[in-house]
Amino acid sequence: AKWHMPTPYGDGNLQTQIAYSFVKEVKENTEGALDITVHSGGSLVKHTEIPRSIKTGQVQIGEVFLGILGNESPVFKHDNIPFLATSFDDAKKLWKAAKPEIAKHLDKNGMMLLYTVAWPAQSLYSKQAVNSLADLEGQKMRAYSPTQSRLADLMHTTPMTIQTPDIPQAFSTGIIQAMITSPSTGVDSQAWDYVNYYTDVKAWIPKNVVVVNKRAFRRLDKATQQIVLDAAKHAEAAGWTQIAARAAKDKATLVEQGMTVSDPSPQLLKELQAIGQTMAEEWKAEAPKEVGSILTRYHQELGQ
Amino acid sequence: MDMMWFSILLAVSMLALLSLGVWVSFTLIAIGGLGLILSENYQVDLLFATSSWGASTAWSLTALPLFIWMGEVLFRTRLSEDLFKGLSPWLGGVPGKLLHVNILSCGIFAAVSGSSAATAATIGRMTLPELRKQGYSDRMAIGTLAGSGTLGLLIPPSIILIVYGVAAEVSIARLFIAGALPGLLLVSLFMGFTMVWGHLHKDELPKSTGHETSWSARIKGLRKLLPVMGLIGFVLGSIYGGITTPTEAAALGVTGALVLAALTGSLSRHSFMDSLLGAVKSSCMIGFILVGAHFLTLAMGFLGIPKALAVWIAGMSLSPMELILYLTVLFVILGCFLDGISVVVLTVAVILPMVQAANIDLLWFGIFIVLVVEMSQITPPVGFNLFVIQSLTGKNILYVAKAALPFFLLIGAAILLISLFPEIVTYLPTTMSQN
Amino acid sequence: MSWSASCSTQPTAKEVNHMNSLKEKCYQCSGLLSGLCIVIITLLLLAQIIGRLFGFIVPSAEDFAGYALAASTFLGLAYTFREGGHIRVTLLIQRFSSVPRKIQEGVILTLSFALLCYLSYACSYMVYESYIYDEVSYGYVPVPLWIPQMPVAIGVIALNLAILDALITVLRGKQPAYSEQEDALSLEEI
Ligand code: NA
Ligand code: NA
Repeated sequence: AKWHMPTPYGDGNLQTQIAYSFVKEVKENTEGALDITVHSGGSLVKHTEIPRSIKTGQVQIGEVFLGILGNESPVFKHDNIPFLATSFDDAKKLWKAAKPEIAKHLDKNGMMLLYTVAWPAQSLYSKQAVNSLADLEGQKMRAYSPTQSRLADLMHTTPMTIQTPDIPQAFSTGIIQAMITSPSTGVDSQAWDYVNYYTDVKAWIPKNVVVVNKRAFRRLDKATQQIVLDAAKHAEAAGWTQIAARAAKDKATLVEQGMTVSDPSPQLLKELQAIGQTMAEEWKAEAPKEVGSILTRYHQELGQ
Repeated sequence: MDMMWFSILLAVSMLALLSLGVWVSFTLIAIGGLGLILSENYQVDLLFATSSWGASTAWSLTALPLFIWMGEVLFRTRLSEDLFKGLSPWLGGVPGKLLHVNILSCGIFAAVSGSSAATAATIGRMTLPELRKQGYSDRMAIGTLAGSGTLGLLIPPSIILIVYGVAAEVSIARLFIAGALPGLLLVSLFMGFTMVWGHLHKDELPKSTGHETSWSARIKGLRKLLPVMGLIGFVLGSIYGGITTPTEAAALGVTGALVLAALTGSLSRHSFMDSLLGAVKSSCMIGFILVGAHFLTLAMGFLGIPKALAVWIAGMSLSPMELILYLTVLFVILGCFLDGISVVVLTVAVILPMVQAANIDLLWFGIFIVLVVEMSQITPPVGFNLFVIQSLTGKNILYVAKAALPFFLLIGAAILLISLFPEIVTYLPTTMSQN
Repeated sequence: MSWSASCSTQPTAKEVNHMNSLKEKCYQCSGLLSGLCIVIITLLLLAQIIGRLFGFIVPSAEDFAGYALAASTFLGLAYTFREGGHIRVTLLIQRFSSVPRKIQEGVILTLSFALLCYLSYACSYMVYESYIYDEVSYGYVPVPLWIPQMPVAIGVIALNLAILDALITVLRGKQPAYSEQEDALSLEEI
């Protein structure tokens, strides 16, 4: 069979590179019987249309940023709650806890989960040094999702909706003075051109998921299905190891390019964690049953 | 090889439908559907709906109808006439005279608008009727507009530079700065050509030497320019002063134009509705063509024709200069049938690795791509500036394309110049690092 | 090109006028709704600029502007078609004499009508699917997607009817409105 796989980000992204190696493994092990073409950077289907395209079978497989599904169900927001899981180890545990709910939800919509690749932890970029939230008070901060807007509110900043391509101009013209994003995005958009400080607050670790249309998957014979699942398992494992290395490398690039990279002060960390607590409670209130079970499982995982 | 026959079949069908008089947007959709069927993709209905919904809700396009409306409003005021009256003492003595108004206004308006269709539509609405009234050669009036409308892509802000910057992971801020000098280069090439042409074709310019060129007339002329300059200055100021993003600036442009129209007494209920319906006509036409182009792009993505061509070039192990030459030819050919931005989106994943392997600066390559996309805006059968101008003037698309041909070649010359002197592109960005 | 106004047996003049004026109103309505959407985009963007100055945000302004853009593009299709706004290559067909030209217009209108029937189905099905799957938008304000998608389907259906209208006109041996507009423009050319 010949499959098409739209992905949202460009070839330089780790997520896309892992998609290429996943596809290669499938092709080799099936001896070309299943040939998947990767269409990176939204070149075939726009990011926001990818879930729908997979669901309705316009494409057989694809990759999405989990956060954009947040309006479909609160369970998709689990990796967007600040300070819930801030290290890759914790993120892995959170994923383990959330996976059953996510899989259930995707299944309801005719999709099946294959693998996930995390992003580096999201940290604070700002024009001035930030030692406590008071340093940010009243400033304008970029927000691209409902969760981010709420976070900006709680940080006493004004949320501003700015699309990714507009970031550099928004900083240099003063439309925003701060944003929370990953070191990779910072490197990709050459953040040193327009912003000076990077505070490594590690707010949350978002993920991309690769999902497949259930019907398309069922049409494969058992052996091919197993090959796909195996390749997915390898891709996920490779993702977790490589993303840690990538995060370190990108942070080093920020330093190299002259940005001031620092760990958060104890004061700032305390204030941010309090905000994280509030947001986790608000999140739980949205869907007490599903979110509650994710949180319970997560705390069990952490306890072990 | 299947793909070659598919390509030929699609191209021939497109030309056949177009010459039969089928509407451009319908043709693109039909060919897109045919392409999907050829790629053994039979969910044409779902794919059309999804791709149209994605294409027609794109945030970056929201500025387009607003700029078109702005042009319609200004056209109904005295301002377009004033633009000419104000500039004629300055340009009356220059060979080519007021034809330069097209080039200069497009150059200035390009700093406000990110798309070439919006630039050609807004400026053309103001200048073409006036140039015709004054007896300028239609062909040259159309040619200068078609050519310099493409400046909207090169002079920042620019939609295509954003698309490329995201795909190639090159700083968009740097790309914007890098576009400035090549933009000026193109303006000078266009003006230079117009001067030479004006010198050789005095008979196709208005006979009257009514243009007074004394300094007092020039100063007086400047006063007439104040409202238009004020409007453009206001919009530019709002972008670079951090009040708006380039997309939102279009809303300020329309509002400013309406205010000016009200102040000069040319705003009535009637003229308001007229301008709005005029904008509806142009923006629905362009919008639906974009929907068709997007759908055709999707089919091309599934078929993989542009990618296959790029792979074929990649396999030839060319020297950097040869590579640039081959890519220019590839883009020009693809650009005849696909919208320029689609060409970039479809090929960038294959092309960037070979560009990097050839040690070509990605920043420089971004500007190169913009220039070839500019060329594709004025090549038939699918060229957005041609569509805009056809709808402004009613002139046939081939006539418009022929009128634009010299400017197509001049953009080619600009590509040659930046290849020989890459500093034209790279000089300004190197001065911008903060540290 | 000349379209002889060969009047075949007509229904009563009064009836025709009545129908025509109703039809005329529908075309006008298509244009006005599309224009209204352009005004809405302008107001949304202005609100966002003003909001930024005074420190409030218009929730999901980008999404809503995008929906208005889609609505504007599609709702105005019928009006634009009628006014001859959709462009095409007339270079070849203008050389046809009266009869072949009528056949040509009939053929392409039939083809276009078939195409648009399919597109009407495709877009209506999209709305239906968004409705039954409870699809919501991805932005700050979750919007059930079938609502902003509705104008897209309506616009395509309206264009479909406009093409049918033109096809009937041609079959009755008259000149369709769009080509009157094209002729007016090309006369100006000379
Ligand atoms: Na521009
Ligand atoms: Na072209």
